[in-house]
Amino acid sequence: MALRVTELTFLDFYAPRYGIPVPRHIWGTSEIEEIKRALEEWGGEAIVKPDVLSGERGKAGSVVSVKNIHDALREIKRVSGVEVDGMMPRIAYLVEKISSKMEIYSAITYNSAFLAPSFTLSLEGGIDVEDIQEENKVTIPIDIFRGLDAYQASQVLARLDCPKDLISTLSRCMVSFWDFFISTGMEIAEINPWRVTPDGRPYACDFKGIVDEANYKAKVPGVEFPEYPESFSDFEEEMRGWDARSHQGQAHVSDIGGTKILPILFGGGISTIITETLESAGGRPMFLSDFGGNPPYERMLGTAKICFAHRLAQAKLLLILGGKANNTLIDVTFQAIADALVSYAEEHGSISTPVVIGRGGPNLVKGLLAMKQALEYLKLPYIIFGPDTPVTMVAEYAAKLVNAFESIEEVEK
Amino acid sequence: MRAEKLSDLLKKGDRVAVSNVTGREASKVCAISQKYCMNIVGGWALGKGGHLVETAAGPIPVYATFDELLKMTPTERHPNKILIYSPPEAVYGEVKEVVNYGKKIVETIYIITEHVSIEVTAKIHQICSEACIDVIGCNTLGIINTHDRARIGAVGGDFPEETFKSGSVSVISNSGNMVNTIASYLLAAGIGNSFGISTGKDRLILFPLKDFLTLAEKDPLTRLIVLYVEPGGTYEHDALEMMQSNGFSKPLVVYVAGEIADRHRISLGHAGAVVECRKSSASAKKNGFDGYFGIESFKVEKHYKKTPELIGALSRGIRVQALHHISRAVTLIYNTLGIKKDFSTTKPIRLNPWFVNLGELGKALPPELAPAPGLIPEPYASQIGDQMETFLRGMIRQPMRNASHASSNDGATPRIYGYSLMDIMTKKSLISAIILYWTGDLPKDDFEERLAEMTFIASLTNGPGTISAQGAKCSTSAGNTPNTAMIATLATLGTVHGGNGARSVQFLLDNFGNLDIHDPYNEYPGVKDIALRAANDFKVRKTQAKEAGIEYERIPCLGHPVYRNDPVNYDPREQVIYQFIKDSGKTNIFLDFYHELVQFLKDNGCTNKVLAVNLDAAIACVWLGICWRKIREKQMTVSRAFDIPFLAFALGRAAGGAGEYLDHQDYGTEMDMRIPVTECRSLTRPRKL
Repeated sequence: MALRVTELTFLDFYAPRYGIPVPRHIWGTSEIEEIKRALEEWGGEAIVKPDVLSGERGKAGSVVSVKNIHDALREIKRVSGVEVDGMMPRIAYLVEKISSKMEIYSAITYNSAFLAPSFTLSLEGGIDVEDIQEENKVTIPIDIFRGLDAYQASQVLARLDCPKDLISTLSRCMVSFWDFFISTGMEIAEINPWRVTPDGRPYACDFKGIVDEANYKAKVPGVEFPEYPESFSDFEEEMRGWDARSHQGQAHVSDIGGTKILPILFGGGISTIITETLESAGGRPMFLSDFGGNPPYERMLGTAKICFAHRLAQAKLLLILGGKANNTLIDVTFQAIADALVSYAEEHGSISTPVVIGRGGPNLVKGLLAMKQALEYLKLPYIIFGPDTPVTMVAEYAAKLVNAFESIEEVEK
Repeated sequence: MRAEKLSDLLKKGDRVAVSNVTGREASKVCAISQKYCMNIVGGWALGKGGHLVETAAGPIPVYATFDELLKMTPTERHPNKILIYSPPEAVYGEVKEVVNYGKKIVETIYIITEHVSIEVTAKIHQICSEACIDVIGCNTLGIINTHDRARIGAVGGDFPEETFKSGSVSVISNSGNMVNTIASYLLAAGIGNSFGISTGKDRLILFPLKDFLTLAEKDPLTRLIVLYVEPGGTYEHDALEMMQSNGFSKPLVVYVAGEIADRHRISLGHAGAVVECRKSSASAKKNGFDGYFGIESFKVEKHYKKTPELIGALSRGIRVQALHHISRAVTLIYNTLGIKKDFSTTKPIRLNPWFVNLGELGKALPPELAPAPGLIPEPYASQIGDQMETFLRGMIRQPMRNASHASSNDGATPRIYGYSLMDIMTKKSLISAIILYWTGDLPKDDFEERLAEMTFIASLTNGPGTISAQGAKCSTSAGNTPNTAMIATLATLGTVHGGNGARSVQFLLDNFGNLDIHDPYNEYPGVKDIALRAANDFKVRKTQAKEAGIEYERIPCLGHPVYRNDPVNYDPREQVIYQFIKDSGKTNIFLDFYHELVQFLKDNGCTNKVLAVNLDAAIACVWLGICWRKIREKQMTVSRAFDIPFLAFALGRAAGGAGEYLDHQDYGTEMDMRIPVTECRSLTRPRKL
């Protein structure tokens, strides 16, 4: 339910709308003549940056200063094709270079200590907030109804010994920053750094943020959140689409690169624990999944079908595992998984993947018998546990089992 | 924080009101809560005022708004706890209404709803703080107070008492499921619960951990606290700071999940399990707790020697690395600190498979990886027996449009359940083929085949006056085709005429289903006792129903409109079947049971004559005998066993109807089934328009 927002979206849509001063910018996909003209207007110097969902652009060497059109075009091409922290950029863009006498860090986020929004400021901008010494940054809670006012921002700036001639301008910028934050359903917003020119004009020179999609304000008219190329595998992409179609039950997967166990897991917490246990026991799970939240039959059926379609052929073992559910109806969910498995076998021919199951919760017996019946029908080797066997023991067992099966298969070969 | 001790969050006598109580999940959960502790005084849902949510413990009244609920509820029953089950977009409005009208009444609001925006969550925190109302959630599963037998929300699922027994540990968990799961592990180790609390794990947890710990420290029944922790937020950091600066008098056992997020760029299941800063990561939380405890995480293979240092460390607590080590760590602390376990009986925590079929591959595995099925604990073992009757239906759902188990044709050979139709034609009888088609197996022997044949013959007719024969005759008289006459015959069959056999099978399974009977054709010494019990049960039901002036359910397939006038009555068709069985030196325990039953019903005064065991009963008994082995071995659905006696009767009658058609067609005149006007009576006086 969270959507990351990059600097380019901030520059294109948010900054002009909320009066936040930013350097001029132009997309790298613009006509060469336009880029050339922009460079001339900006004094011949600019910064090339990739539009990518990672905050590690500088460390990846993808933020480059250019001084002529040839360098600019070369770097636009190069930067837009270089992965940053494993992610491909959407495009590259140029921003005007802002000379500065100081850099400032600012962030507004919801704070678990205050249970309210908080505003953080430091005069040591341009570095990671956690690398700033505690005495050099100030965090204050913000009244969610009253918001951040200029006087509060000025008090914070004063505490940080900000030069007095900058306090008024910067305070007004911070109020605009709050207005933007609270009007657009932001969950986290960080402007780092603000660069302040020698003549005292601040510019927001980098931005990253997260929009809370559960907030109706996130849907700002005219604001389009671009799609980024490499973010998700086909499997994750299809599951995300399926997940978005309903609020009934979870349909969450994250690829983690394993090659052995296909895990159908239930419960936000327990799925994490099981995945960690599988990893540490050598089970190499293909992904982390959470299909809890009492999904209705059709929902679970669709979820299981997507999992099987994408990963069952490669899986060495199918693990269906969850704790003792409070709400989730085991008969409904297991019947759906059993049906999806049978459908898969009918479409793709017989399968031989061993199956390990562990579960507890409402209508458990009916659910387990449904699975057992389907597994016998499909002639799959299986072992089924109830809630008296801890999930982590079942996960450890599954990891050992898949490795033993692999060894046996190798010997047979 | 308004609460001063853990029981202020929930105790006996608290009164709960539920928003959106008519919703799918809310109504189900509230019905279970009401059965468990009867603490819900009402609910509200827009536009649903005046409705009732029916529960086994009585209906929950539904009001249109919270304001109306307060107005319509006596002051002494005004709710002090609120459970919010509304959709995300409605939560803020519900809370505002509660704060507006319930400011001096409501103490705690539990918000179950997931996907509430973080901005709304912060607003809820602020308005409730100002109104001095504690909020648990959002996305909590609720709380259970085991000593007071009270719960709010869904903690404990459908059977809270199964997992939550009064004891000395409070479980405080970021995951709702883990409250239940951890409590079940503790119970196996002989440790009960005082409180089970789901904190919720949205981006903001409105009742932070340090507040829960402060309350748990003051709770006299809580000796130890188990924490389940995920990444995200600084709640644990803040709680550790509090414990380090103020001291904390109770030990903790902590499990921190989610270190996987440090290794992979993935989002975990819960919205709040997001690492925003270094101290909110799983590894930072682990380090924080280890530092506070002053002892490395629990090692299951380690022998802990009781030293002053160990006592000092364990009085603060210990972290575990595996979920299934929690109960062992708690046991270590209890033993070291001299705390008595809540229960003496314990069950070992181990791999206990319920069902195993690893096939050929299993034979190649080392023994520890190919365990034999273990004992299934109660209540599940009993439930598995009960489920036998129902689980088979729809087990393998699949598109059946062009598929059949019963028949096939590969282009050369039509088959019934795999047997060549031509082979059956040359080697078997019609009856054998029908038994195969209906049950999936050929008859066991000639005796079974002959019995089935008798049921078909006996079903052919009971004279031209039966309504099924009348159906065929009416259709013929109207000029219909032969197949229509047969359809007319079948159309006159129903649950009363012909279908009673299905009810008879149900009745027989009620009485014999749980018994370990392998062969219904062998004598069963307990038949008389079963019949006596059934007769007495019926007498009780009949007496109670008569006293209450209500209808009661009759025993199916007893008595007959023709064979009813003697002190002891028999249906001659049934008698032929019964005699054939006896003459074959065999028995049918179901038919024996029926004969004993009619005598006991006469003896206990339920009937003034010995009723006839009618043909429907005989058909049901014969076919249940044929199906018995397959039902027991779960190779046949019980619903199929219900249908087969009806089908046997219908097949016989359809053939009988054909006979009536042929006869009527040859000798009847057109429209001769019409009843002359002079023979028809009007029961309504003529009226003018």
